[in-house]
Amino acid sequence: MLKNSFARVVAIIVAALVLAVVSNGFASRQRRLMLPGYYPNALRVPPPERETPPAPQAAPPAGSAPASATDTTASLPPATATAIGNQTPVVVSTATIAPAIPPVKETHVPAATATQPAIAPAPVPAPPAADVLARFTPHPDRAYVEISGADAAALHAKGVLFLDARRTSVYEEGHIAGARPFSVWESDVDEKVNALFNERSDPREQNLPIVIYCSGGACEDSHMLSEKLWGIQFNNIYVYKDGFPDWQKRGGAVKTGGQP
Amino acid sequence: MTAREALTHPWLTIRVQLALGAIFVAAALPKLSDPPSFAHMIYNYRILPAGLINISSLTMPWVEILCGLALILGIWVRPARWLITLLLVTFMIAISINLLRGNAIDCGCFDVSAAGKTHAERLHDMWFVLIRDAGMLLMCAQLAWSERVRRTEVAHTDREVGPSP
Repeated sequence: MLKNSFARVVAIIVAALVLAVVSNGFASRQRRLMLPGYYPNALRVPPPERETPPAPQAAPPAGSAPASATDTTASLPPATATAIGNQTPVVVSTATIAPAIPPVKETHVPAATATQPAIAPAPVPAPPAADVLARFTPHPDRAYVEISGADAAALHAKGVLFLDARRTSVYEEGHIAGARPFSVWESDVDEKVNALFNERSDPREQNLPIVIYCSGGACEDSHMLSEKLWGIQFNNIYVYKDGFPDWQKRGGAVKTGGQP
Repeated sequence: MTAREALTHPWLTIRVQLALGAIFVAAALPKLSDPPSFAHMIYNYRILPAGLINISSLTMPWVEILCGLALILGIWVRPARWLITLLLVTFMIAISINLLRGNAIDCGCFDVSAAGKTHAERLHDMWFVLIRDAGMLLMCAQLAWSERVRRTEVAHTDREVGPSP
């Protein structure tokens, strides 16, 4: 009797495994999972999440020091910002480096139709527009640098590429205008990463800033995506730590639907 | 009727079996409909190595639905009950580990969408999940006890009457 029951337990598990693999094979791209997945920090317990106060409406004066080593909302030059990714290069599991193709001349995301008012000007004088990009220099030793909403707004105004690491269904409900959907949880993320690499195959283009965001708070999707991109030589990645909720609070340009 | 007779009565047992089966079918459906979100939930537990997260998130809902259907249909009840007990104990250990670590997570038991709760709310919910899982473990125990009593009674009757020709 026991032996018979044990065999049936094994049969149920095997049946579940077969059904899982078959159903995953027939699933749509947004619902399919890669086997195996790529999760560099799968066993690393995140530090306790702080109850974050409302996002600041303006950037502090340029060059002001953060309150603590973990204060990631201060508007600082990237070289002094904190919360950096792994120090060792990350190898992308399934991404392949495709042969270089002629670089795309216009890499800026086209200005999308905004459904909300444009970003309100910060009361604190912003650095001159020409200096904005100069502050965001490549950092090949780090996967990403976390930036504040003010920095994200400044980069958005300069037409820097924004990537949305949240699920596509969430992206379609509302995203930063011009941002592209790059969910790390969907099976086509490596295709998108490869396409971006082909689009920016020139090393100079790979050093252009890219801003990645997700839902803020404890969300790590943007960090995971930045490590993927860093693994294929994108050396100027910025994680908008407070993410889309902060962007909405700031009144940044938002677009709905599946297009950037 | 003694308490033992009441707790192992077929009237109660069949209802517990159907309820437990329905709970596990209901728990499996949202996971089956959105495996990436469930994989995200499993990732948040920070217990499984990277290579096992996706295959677990794909397989576990199918185990749940097969076991749930087995209980509802009354076939392979014992192995289904064993597997459900194993799943519940695993969930409780995983939740407890994260409670001890202070890692507030959404359980992902019946809903795989990010709930947008605060750290304190998540910790509170984790305690509730532990109690709920303990309740379901008691349901498994009732099924096991009931089966044991029934088998004892059958064996006793066989001894008295003798094997049928």
